Amino acid sequence: MLVRRHEDRAWRISARVASLLPVAGVAFIVIVLALKAWPATTVNGVSFLTSSQWVPGNTYGAVVHTHGVAHPMGSSYGAWPLIAGTLETSVIALVIALPISLGTAFALTERLPRWVAQPITFFVEILAGIPSVIIGLWGVLQLGPFLASHVYPLVANHVPNVPVLRFFRGSTGYGEGLLTSGLILGLMIVPIIASTTRDLFMQVPPLPKEGAEALGMTDAEVARHVTIPWVRSGIIGATVLGLGRALGETIAVAMVSGSILGKLSPNIYGTMTTIAATIVSQLDSAATDGTGFAISTLAEAGLLLAVIAIVVNLAARTIVRHSASHAAPVGRV
Amino acid sequence: MDEFRKTDISPDEIKSVLEVLDPDGERPRNVITTSGLNLRFGDQQILSGVNMDFPRGTITALIGPTGSGKSTFLRTLNRMNDKVRGFRHEGDVALEGRSIWSSDQDLLDLRRRVGMLFQRPNPFPMSIKDNVVAGAKAHGIAKGKQLDVVAETRLREVGLWDAVKDRLNDSPYRLSGGQQQLLCLARALAVGPEVLLLDEPTSALDPLSTESVERLLRELTPALTLIVVTHNLGQARRVSDNTMFFYEGKLVEHGATNDLFNQPRETNTARYVNGLMG
Repeated sequence: MLVRRHEDRAWRISARVASLLPVAGVAFIVIVLALKAWPATTVNGVSFLTSSQWVPGNTYGAVVHTHGVAHPMGSSYGAWPLIAGTLETSVIALVIALPISLGTAFALTERLPRWVAQPITFFVEILAGIPSVIIGLWGVLQLGPFLASHVYPLVANHVPNVPVLRFFRGSTGYGEGLLTSGLILGLMIVPIIASTTRDLFMQVPPLPKEGAEALGMTDAEVARHVTIPWVRSGIIGATVLGLGRALGETIAVAMVSGSILGKLSPNIYGTMTTIAATIVSQLDSAATDGTGFAISTLAEAGLLLAVIAIVVNLAARTIVRHSASHAAPVGRV
Repeated sequence: MDEFRKTDISPDEIKSVLEVLDPDGERPRNVITTSGLNLRFGDQQILSGVNMDFPRGTITALIGPTGSGKSTFLRTLNRMNDKVRGFRHEGDVALEGRSIWSSDQDLLDLRRRVGMLFQRPNPFPMSIKDNVVAGAKAHGIAKGKQLDVVAETRLREVGLWDAVKDRLNDSPYRLSGGQQQLLCLARALAVGPEVLLLDEPTSALDPLSTESVERLLRELTPALTLIVVTHNLGQARRVSDNTMFFYEGKLVEHGATNDLFNQPRETNTARYVNGLMG
């Protein structure tokens, strides 16, 4: 008896400790980042969010002090192009991945016979497991150049010269840039959203769907009015998972974005960079800054990325709560 | 209503007058006719040789033990079985003389004309009002402000209006089971069907809700033709004009409900209606 009671006690304590680990992990990461970023934050100020300059200064020359923080002469950092690039690539990725994922999930659960659906499911899962460096390599060697020589010019020359759409015109470059990055990211998050959505669709009970069919709705109407709304909050959750991946994806974007610092891309094809890609591509040269200021600035960028990810997550939760309070299944059929 | 009963016009005379006045008089008397209908799933024969007429404006009850094929028969009438793997049919089902499988019979329009109510309430994940008008909207029967009218009319028709008029934009899943089923009935009526197929519509409901659904079904005729699968023999007796008894994949016996229950011709029918066989 005593042994069992001790076992139970050990089990309960270890479960509690384990449940605290994620909290501790998040707190630890944020605290370390904030401490590292603190010097840069005091010097860079608010203009870090709005400025486009990314000048490390003369890292072998004189050291100056601003607000008591040492940094190289002439250094000036602004992350606006990084922020914009991160959001732009993620939005492009979502716009591409969401319909493809929903379509895939829908076809896998409703349309395709099992002998076709099973291998496709397998490949979707394989795609999720391909290391991003390999996808990036394929993007920079094959996909980017192909699109730049065959597809982008076609689009750029046929889009009307009107506001918003103008962003799709102009020089199409060599395949490294905003759209290629967005496409690569889209490809990487399709498996995340598609496999989650597929599992969600399979949980939708047949009875409401049959009700819609019996009412004379088309398959598309059944999907739009019943299947998708039934699991709407889950789809939003899956989308946020995908978005989180897109926001933070580093190496593949570093490879296909062109990694151009200091300016925004003038159109959707131009070279650019993101926060994550900048951190990885600038880490080496930042280490040469003897004052540690460049590293501190990268930490500040990292903190910014973490904040963006958390804000996106919270926003999604609000959307889920809103849509759930409207008419989502509470007492499911 | 009592005033009418006191008149000395015989029912037959009323009937003949009604037939003259009936705008549907020109149309076939039988809304649905099945001829030599065999149904199979793969190698398994579910139902064989069903010949049956469903006269306009009547309620027909489909009774029989579980697995006798009555639900499959019902779901064939609006082609819900068509997408089930291995479903095969021989013989024919005609809606007003035209085969439901003929190439000029649009499936969506067939389902608009032949509606369905299921075993358990199945509201859509949208507001109460949107539920009622979902089908009407899809078929382009009404739009904009008209949808409000459709919603109110149909909710009144099923007696749900007073209970939900102040929460039309709420979730339907907070309604009771009986109210949800009435909502589904309002939704089915909103597309203007001619036939309503009901698959054990009250099996998940409490006795009071069952009573209100049954009362409604009687009120829906003769404007609509109803075909009801039920395990509740009392319900079959209470609501239906005609009854079909299915047993082991065959239509054993059919006829006027009173006759079938009081003077069954077949032994199995007698055993079933007297509760000697489940």
